[in-house]
Amino acid sequence: MADHPSTHGDSGREDEFPELVEPEISPRRSFLRAAGFTFAGGLLAGCSRAPVERAIPFLEKPEAITPGRAYFYASACAGCTAGCGILAKVRDGRPVKLEGNPEHPLSQGRLCAVGQASILGLYDSARLKHPLKQSKPASWEQADREISESLAQISRNRRGIYLVSNTITSPTLRRQIGRFLDRFPGSRHVVYDPLSSSAILDAHLETHGARLLPRYRFHKAEVIAGFDADFLGTWISPVEFAAGYRAGRSPDGPDARFSYHVQFESRLSLTGAKADKRVVIAPHELTAALAHLAAILSAKANHTVKLSGFGPAPVPDALLAGLAERLWEARGKSLVICGSQDVRTQVITNFLNHLLGNYGATIDLDLPSHQRQGADRDAEALLARLKDGRVDALFFHGVNPVYELPGWDAVAQTIQRIALTVSLSGTLDETAELAHYVCPDHHPLESWGDSEAVSGIVTLVQPAIRPLGKTRSVVESLGAWMGESQSTYDQLRACWKQDVFPRQSDVRSFEEFWEQSVQDGFAKVPPARRQVAAFRMAAVGNLAGAARARQQGAYSLALYPKLAMLDGRHAANPWLQELPDPISKITWDNYACLSPAAAAALNVKDGDVIQVEAGNGSGRAVEAPVLVQPGQHDRVVALALGYGRKVTERFARVGPEWLYGKSTVGPNGRVGVRVNHLLTFTEGALEYAGQPVSLRKTAGTRLLAATQSQHTIEEPSRLRAQGIQPRPILRETSFHQSRTGSNPSPAHEEEDLWPPDHRFSKHHWGMAVDLAACTGCSACVIACQVENNIPVVGKDEARRHREMHWIRLDRYYSEEGGFAVAYQPMMCQHCEHASCETVCPALATVHSEEGLNQQIYNRCVGTRYCANNCPYKVRRFNWFDYRREDRLQNMVLNPDIAVRSRGVMEKCSFCIQRIQEAKIEAKRRGVPVADGDIETACQQTCPSNAILFGDLNDPHSALSRLLKSPRRYRVLEELNERPSVHYLALVRNREET
Amino acid sequence: MRDRILTAILLVASGYAALAVAPRMNGYRLPGIHQGYAPVQPIAYSHRLHAGELQVACLYCHSAAERSRHAGIPAASICMNCHKQVTASFGAVRQEEELAEKAKRKPRPVVSPELGKLYAALGLNQTLDRDPSLPQKPISWVRVHNLPDFVYFDHRAHVAAGVACQTCHGPVETMERMRQHASLAMGWCVNCHREANRGINGKAVEASIDCGTCHF
Repeated sequence: MADHPSTHGDSGREDEFPELVEPEISPRRSFLRAAGFTFAGGLLAGCSRAPVERAIPFLEKPEAITPGRAYFYASACAGCTAGCGILAKVRDGRPVKLEGNPEHPLSQGRLCAVGQASILGLYDSARLKHPLKQSKPASWEQADREISESLAQISRNRRGIYLVSNTITSPTLRRQIGRFLDRFPGSRHVVYDPLSSSAILDAHLETHGARLLPRYRFHKAEVIAGFDADFLGTWISPVEFAAGYRAGRSPDGPDARFSYHVQFESRLSLTGAKADKRVVIAPHELTAALAHLAAILSAKANHTVKLSGFGPAPVPDALLAGLAERLWEARGKSLVICGSQDVRTQVITNFLNHLLGNYGATIDLDLPSHQRQGADRDAEALLARLKDGRVDALFFHGVNPVYELPGWDAVAQTIQRIALTVSLSGTLDETAELAHYVCPDHHPLESWGDSEAVSGIVTLVQPAIRPLGKTRSVVESLGAWMGESQSTYDQLRACWKQDVFPRQSDVRSFEEFWEQSVQDGFAKVPPARRQVAAFRMAAVGNLAGAARARQQGAYSLALYPKLAMLDGRHAANPWLQELPDPISKITWDNYACLSPAAAAALNVKDGDVIQVEAGNGSGRAVEAPVLVQPGQHDRVVALALGYGRKVTERFARVGPEWLYGKSTVGPNGRVGVRVNHLLTFTEGALEYAGQPVSLRKTAGTRLLAATQSQHTIEEPSRLRAQGIQPRPILRETSFHQSRTGSNPSPAHEEEDLWPPDHRFSKHHWGMAVDLAACTGCSACVIACQVENNIPVVGKDEARRHREMHWIRLDRYYSEEGGFAVAYQPMMCQHCEHASCETVCPALATVHSEEGLNQQIYNRCVGTRYCANNCPYKVRRFNWFDYRREDRLQNMVLNPDIAVRSRGVMEKCSFCIQRIQEAKIEAKRRGVPVADGDIETACQQTCPSNAILFGDLNDPHSALSRLLKSPRRYRVLEELNERPSVHYLALVRNREET
Repeated sequence: MRDRILTAILLVASGYAALAVAPRMNGYRLPGIHQGYAPVQPIAYSHRLHAGELQVACLYCHSAAERSRHAGIPAASICMNCHKQVTASFGAVRQEEELAEKAKRKPRPVVSPELGKLYAALGLNQTLDRDPSLPQKPISWVRVHNLPDFVYFDHRAHVAAGVACQTCHGPVETMERMRQHASLAMGWCVNCHREANRGINGKAVEASIDCGTCHF
């Protein structure tokens, strides 16, 4: 090496061609040699032990349990306060799916998206596993001792003890709270609902002398007039209401009936999207619209009450007169509902229903609902007392006022200073963080309990799994502080024996009654009669000319709950965060909805951040990205509640990590922004809509992750072919037309080039989707996600249209004949001539002899040709191994189907695991598979019964019978793919023009 | 020169790696179909004795095969149906009795070492009663027949169709230690499904060869 001429000192060449440092190993051969050794080393290292699987049987097998079989436990859903009956499916000791209890009168076997997703909360590793004292782990003994001592002291001095909770439908817990209040003199129970309906209750106190929420019976209603009440989406009891609404709208068969539904609203809601006629009015115009309607109807009823002084009618007189005519004709079979939080407006609504004779018919006051009991006045008063320092002990159960209520974030220090604050929350929410003690409650699937959401139907809650942490039910916690040690189960039985059992007379023995109730999941027991006074006209008389005075602003604010997020209770649930909002199709965010005209006036477009400021410089403002939302009032800005919660900070790392990946959370480190500080208490009620606000454009922009970017299916006129009838993929007819039998969808006949090689000699599975029934509630999307182990991809991937949901709810706007919205659930169509099958080079997608288009994951090599060739765009590709970091949440995976890995295509399988299960069970019993044995997950959960799965080969199956409807059509039939999924045309109750 | 040194270092390193791995190689197996896999079990349970010699029916212990996708490994309480009485082999008990007779004493209870593990797992005392002070510990058997996660296999369908257990599990009644007899590879499954469509023991059965029968 010494005689090798060195070039290092040669400055002449250095400038032009800087000499490279000689590599350590001379290039090619050495590289190959090193590569060879590396390979050999890798091979040796790769010779790891093939995993040894263990099989650990029971030591003593419970007689009723066979490993590998699913067991169902009847219980009640705790996703909201609606109290739907559920069946918890338990596999090998862990709940894996929730389904509606088919026998239950409220849910009727159905469940909404929130209910379906709520099972993930059980496996939330952020749930507290033990009590906390000043944010440090503590033992139950210590917490109980100190809380009891503190309580005794405060109570001795007769100071203010407040138990703050949301609506409590459990008779046992109510009884326990009653005893707790008796035990500690001076204590009070404050009930408020983050999504409040307190004005309805207050109005009934004025008009009927009892503060109660009536039970609305939509199935009896022939004419429905909704005023800003999203009863199909988020209002009080959506599953029950949707099922009732659907029952009143079945356009087929000899006993066809179809209600007429008018919706007055300021922003586009799910209910408005379904209405036969939708009228856009501003929130503050609701009262006037209702008052004018009441004036017309009271004239018809020859009433002397004059409703005047509410200003001019905000809508054309002809419209109100027409509606009044329809309502009057359907007296006793009509329904007027209003979501306003203004008591006067609600009194007028009650007056309207009274005029129409709806009380006792479509509105039940004898068996009222308990689903909302909150009194906002009390919550407002509590805040004032807290500020005055007149509160000494605070207990929180089921509420998170620091997040939910306006003004509470300002009293955080006061809360910490008072003598005793105890949160009973199962997670460390915004309020629990401030509490001295956190005594975590069980998840409802871990605990005994009950719920009387509607008078006369008491649902039992039974545990489906042993508690995962050292948590304790609220009933037991309250008991412990009273010095009792009775278990929840004993308390529950005692309450049932004393209060529930004596209400019925069919069963003599309590044991028998109890056993039956546990098995059924609920008991029907007539309640103690409650005296409801007759309608008091005086309440209406007081109203004249008393319209709420309010200052006018350029825009008025509408705060609304989003279908998946509601009040933010489930903000930690990634399934619900990723569920596209059925109206905006946006995931993982909230935003300021503006009408196209308002957006143009402000010169903003989608994603531009605007500042929304309420109360003239009082500093109550939020900054949120704009979403241009057709169908909204031009002077209204709508913002969703339930976002910007602290628990969403965990989603910073959701989704795949890669070079171009962006975080799911916003600049505040959370998902969306909190808007609850814009809420106000107005005249003793939480006011969500109508507040004047000013809007200001800022320089910022934010990306919104929408899963749908095209909003209309109307062909532009310049592209329309001459002389060819367009075949829209979404068909619509009127009730009148469908009655007269004119077929909106002529059969499509095409010559067939394919050999008839798919014979389907046994079964031919197919599906029908009734667009007339579908409300777009998205329960099917989540049910499918739970059933089929579908991963969460995060905001950035959703923005790239890489969401993995097997069902897509396409939402289309149309402008023809007035603004209208329609939904179309779109999943794999299981085509007989599937274009995906012909292009797969690996034969990973093939047709089964039962008509299923099968996707074989272990064969798939990920060419994605199939997805390119699918005209319905329903195939989903695993671009990454989506992180399932929370190991505990993997417990929710369905053990009957595979978890797909990176590079594999997947799509709707018609729930093939359920088909196989039914077939194998039929084989085992030696009977044929009966019609109705197989229900897909989407069908099973659909509150409006829009989806039907069955055998097309069986002429007597419910599916074959349904498909005889003249409304039947197939999407893109002209492509001759021959899909097995049929659609039934959308029906609206529209006047013929 | 440097290359040679590097080669030598790499060679030596590889040699050491091989030496380090070699003694443990018998516990290692390459990923594959595991035909003939017969791991040592925590209790030396003999199918030859129970299913062969004593002719205990398969479904007596693996009763879930009729009702569940898994045939299941019997709970220890199922073992106790017999082993409450039978604590050791007949020969060992006879021997003790003879010894006792010779020594003119009462025969002592004989517990075979393998059954001792069963009793220990259940936390039983000398007289085979539950002793709360003794811990219970479930028996962690090594799974022999293990299909990949992308295959769905269901015992119910096969038992209902009348497929004999031995068709897939081989002559279990002759196996001292449980062994994977068949390859359990897809071709093997499909061949049997094709055959089965001609009927099993004269009974017509339906064994689909659609991919979606097993893969979903």
